[in-house]
Amino acid sequence: MLTRIMRHEWRSLVADRTLWIIAPLFALLIGYGVYNGTSWVSFQRSTLDAAQQEERDRFAKAKAEVASIEQGGQPASAFANPRLPSVAAGRTAPRYALLPPAPLAALSVGQSDLYPYYFKVSSQSKQTFTTNDEIENPTNLLAGRFDLAFVIIYLYPLLILALSYNLLSIEREQGTLQMMMSQPVSLRTFVTGKIGLRALVVLALAAGFSLAGFLLGGVSLNAEGAWLRLLLWIGIVAGYGAFWFALAVAVNAFGKSSATNAMALAGLWLVFVLPIPSLLNVAVTTIYPVPSRVEMVQATRRASAEATAKGSQLLSKYLEDHPELTAGNQADPNDFVTRSLAIQSETERLIQPVIDHFDRQVLGQQSLVDRFRFLSPAIVTQAALNDIAGTSVARYRHFLSLVDEFHKQWRGHFTPRIVQKALLSASDYDRFPSFSFGEEPTGVVAKRVLAGLFGLLIPALVIGWLSLRALRRYQLAG
Amino acid sequence: MIVKIARKEFTEMLRDGRFRWAAAIVFALLLASLVMGGKHYRDVKRQHDLAQAETRDQWLRQPAKNPHSAAHYGIYAFKPKLLPAMLDRGVDPFVGQSVWLEAHKQNEFKFKPAQDATAVQRFGELTAATVLQLLIPLLIILLSFSAFAGEREQGTLRQLLSLGVRKTDLVWGKALGVSGALALLIVPATIVGVVALAMVSDNGLLGASAGRMAWLFVSYLLYFGVFIGVSLAVSAWAKSSQMALVVLLAFWIVNGLIAPRAVADAAKRVHPTPSAFAFQQTMDREMQSGPDGHDTADKRAEALKQKVLKQYGVDKLEALPVNFAGISLQEGEEHSNVVFDKHYSELWNRFERQNRLKQLAGAVAPMLAIQSVSMSLAGTDFAHHRNFATAAESYRRFLVKKMNDDMTFNAGKEDFSYLAKPALWQTVEDFRYDAPSASWALSQQTISLALLTLWCLAALTFAAVTTAKMRVD
Repeated sequence: MLTRIMRHEWRSLVADRTLWIIAPLFALLIGYGVYNGTSWVSFQRSTLDAAQQEERDRFAKAKAEVASIEQGGQPASAFANPRLPSVAAGRTAPRYALLPPAPLAALSVGQSDLYPYYFKVSSQSKQTFTTNDEIENPTNLLAGRFDLAFVIIYLYPLLILALSYNLLSIEREQGTLQMMMSQPVSLRTFVTGKIGLRALVVLALAAGFSLAGFLLGGVSLNAEGAWLRLLLWIGIVAGYGAFWFALAVAVNAFGKSSATNAMALAGLWLVFVLPIPSLLNVAVTTIYPVPSRVEMVQATRRASAEATAKGSQLLSKYLEDHPELTAGNQADPNDFVTRSLAIQSETERLIQPVIDHFDRQVLGQQSLVDRFRFLSPAIVTQAALNDIAGTSVARYRHFLSLVDEFHKQWRGHFTPRIVQKALLSASDYDRFPSFSFGEEPTGVVAKRVLAGLFGLLIPALVIGWLSLRALRRYQLAG
Repeated sequence: MIVKIARKEFTEMLRDGRFRWAAAIVFALLLASLVMGGKHYRDVKRQHDLAQAETRDQWLRQPAKNPHSAAHYGIYAFKPKLLPAMLDRGVDPFVGQSVWLEAHKQNEFKFKPAQDATAVQRFGELTAATVLQLLIPLLIILLSFSAFAGEREQGTLRQLLSLGVRKTDLVWGKALGVSGALALLIVPATIVGVVALAMVSDNGLLGASAGRMAWLFVSYLLYFGVFIGVSLAVSAWAKSSQMALVVLLAFWIVNGLIAPRAVADAAKRVHPTPSAFAFQQTMDREMQSGPDGHDTADKRAEALKQKVLKQYGVDKLEALPVNFAGISLQEGEEHSNVVFDKHYSELWNRFERQNRLKQLAGAVAPMLAIQSVSMSLAGTDFAHHRNFATAAESYRRFLVKKMNDDMTFNAGKEDFSYLAKPALWQTVEDFRYDAPSASWALSQQTISLALLTLWCLAALTFAAVTTAKMRVD
């Protein structure tokens, strides 16, 4: 029976204009979204390539200069002798830490337009190299990107609602519902059939168009974890769709007119994509207010002034605290470079609590959002799609923690050499630490996404079940 | 007649539970956003005022040091907010709030507030502007989609016209009725808004932004006029009220959601911007070897040396009555300023061309026009940011030159071991910034204001024309 209903629905959908207007429009929107996503990814890739090229050129030049000095030549600038470890660590040899776009990055620009995706790691403090934001017109950042995630989060529910807001109401308004119900079929089977077919059509459209877009846009599915991420993506799209279909059935079950249904569903859609997210944002920023960075700027200045004032007193303490640096030899207390190291280390110690405070507040906000995202399926979907695409803050934080480790390793390599005034040879340049990005384990990402998927499916099932029950009391004529 | 119709519409709307609910929600959101906007404005203003005073204090309290070290130490500039910014936060979350003014470099504004927020913020912030640009138009649609289509379905339209009511009276009466219902919402909200503004503002600030506020008010009225006109027109034209609703919702979605993003991405394609990496690399290269690639640092240093020797009529640097390091530092500044001016103005012109394209797209979606006008009058658009950045940069150049000149004329032969007395810091006047006037903001928005007016007139005419031709049943 169910298949017969679905077959009939298919025929009437095909005969109706709606699908033929909506499907090409949807294809167009998805196409534009994928196009914008893939351009952003290739823009990032070419920037990363340029950075790597710059690093290779810089190393080659420095090595050539070191070799020529070893042969008795003069450094090009007295301030920048590349044989000095302090010069190498801060000027000639800083290495890039690159955050390559994840395999399905083209799916969602997410937060990746807000945070830098490469750092030039040097021996200086982290604050000096972690603020290299990408250039972007702030008006564009405000508008947000027209990417596939936007189409899925905002427009895909509208497609679903356009196909199903009058699921039952139109049948009743046309009088066909009574006729149908005189047949040996229950209203529930009838509704399930109608919704089931629409769900299949919509999901096929969404998945099919996006896959086609990906393949045309040159997204490679050979990368590690790409297939799993693709499956998760289809799962989330299906789950998000299920929620909206369930909502459409629920609203229809109230037995109001098609116009009222349209208004109610549009209202619900609006509530989920606008007031709930913005009120949640208000709530989390009120509970965990992040002070203005103006305070951090000022704290850094105060700390650096304080540390500079302590000067030489600081140096002896610094060397006492780090006996490994001098390797038993006496360090020169008047040495400018060593003194700067001590001042830098003290400044960082002083501002660490301020930085930690910022991190704690932002993390607090994030944990609240993670918990309360289930208030709106749109937020759940946004978080999940960003996770799948690797454009979430979680992946960026993962990158930051790797950079942090690398920065420590970098300093660990150079600081003793700076204090001991070692002279570098050309071959030393090949032995400097280098950064490699390890992706977050796919399992961790999958776990977060699956939690989101349940957050979509459970409300969908509950609403669907309740409304099928409510259909028992549905007035066939009205 | 018009008044009678308007009164009937008005009463009917007030009795409609749906309208009461929707209006109550919108009103609550508007109030909440005004209160939060006011608080945000006050917090930011206090922080920035304090920080600006502290950074000045730090500058003044420097010990005796070499002027060039002082220039390296520099000073921070914190972007002030205008009072109407509490209504529309504009691009403020997406631009850095402060800039370090130091020797040699025109720095970028660092720390975008959005970087310290969660991804939820990208759904849009709850500000008065969001409510006025998105929710009130939706309310207008809900109020008026069935204005004619509904009467036709109930058969009252024929009855009404048989009484001899003119169609033009009908359309103006209905428009007036919707406006009246809307006024119930807008007037108290405006009063609350003005009171809130008065509460958060220091003396005189409210008066200073009165022009901007008045223009904001007019612009939003024009924007609502567009929606009243379009809704009545579609209601007269559509076969059924259901169809009118679907068409109007589609218009609302294209206008408020699809157009801003679609146009932002399109504008990026038409006027692409370089990557930060390429931007910096090009500037570094030109800093090294001049814009044409032949003016290397060595050649420049030699040329400067010859020029200065000739100017003072001596044959070696030691014989100069001034300090050559100071002159050479200043020459370096002048050289890099040319490079900064060239590249930053090119980049910012590109941003502005992108924004101009968005303004033009207001012809398709009035949202783009009102957004642009609203941000501009609130002082939170890119043009205002650029205005501040330019002022901060010229202060940086002034400060650095002052330091270099002191070096030139007072350092003698001591070069970098010369220490300037703390009295020197006093001679650098404090950084003052006066935000541009309302008329400056308006002059940036001629396209948007013209389009908004055109939209409003066209929508109301459209309503009158479609009603005149509408079918009675």
